Amino acid sequence: MSDAIKVDIWSDVQCPWCYIGKRKFEAGAEASGIPVEVEYHSFELSPDTPVDFEGNTVDYLSERKGMPKAQVEQMLERVTGIAKSVGLDYDFDHVHQTNTVISHELIHFAKSKGRQLEMKERLLKAYFIDGEHVGRIPDLVALAVELGFDEAEVTEALESHRFLADVKADVALAQEYGIQGVPFFVIDGKYGVSGAQEADTFANVLAQVQSEKEAAE
Amino acid sequence: MTDVTITPLTLVGAADAAVCEGDFCVIPDHNEQKVVNRKLDDNNI
Repeated sequence: MSDAIKVDIWSDVQCPWCYIGKRKFEAGAEASGIPVEVEYHSFELSPDTPVDFEGNTVDYLSERKGMPKAQVEQMLERVTGIAKSVGLDYDFDHVHQTNTVISHELIHFAKSKGRQLEMKERLLKAYFIDGEHVGRIPDLVALAVELGFDEAEVTEALESHRFLADVKADVALAQEYGIQGVPFFVIDGKYGVSGAQEADTFANVLAQVQSEKEAAE
Repeated sequence: MTDVTITPLTLVGAADAAVCEGDFCVIPDHNEQKVVNRKLDDNNI
């Protein structure tokens, strides 16, 4: 068996397809039986969103896109149905639309502790399922403490923004790759998979990389 | 991903998979169809 295959994933905390794509990727990786080493990278879909936007996703999209609320509700209902099909209970009625840059800083903080994947999953759940705020430092600290991180250390890291440069470096790297939308998966540094693809797609590309590695040995 | 050397990526998978770009998330037609099919199944149709 070869070493684990590196998978770099660009994703935003408030991206519904990123959470769905995460589940599909996980299913594909499990089905393939091939060990993977996953690293998440920051991508800000809407960096100009205020931290304390007043309203939920329907309000946000109808204001921002000028779409009728009924149309937005219908669209979100479809996304909710697709999320349900991969075991995720999205609750758009209670989503706190916000700016996610500090949540990305928290993901980088967790990465520095070797616990990035836990933090990423908890933030996605907080945003889409639990109706928790993922833009304000006190709320983010509470989520981190819930996972066992040191409150004072997390607070200092977020208030000082010492991981902001890492967030911006991820965004810059995405631009270098030409990534325009998320989720985006870079597998073994050479294959790009865009969007919430089916699990089979991920399993197939992992198998392809695995066979290439074995042939090269 | 420290000291990354960027190489051109070979894109694989369906070209119309669901993605979010900017503050908008596209819902592909085939996903809508899946939801419709699932609802039909739920209703034993």
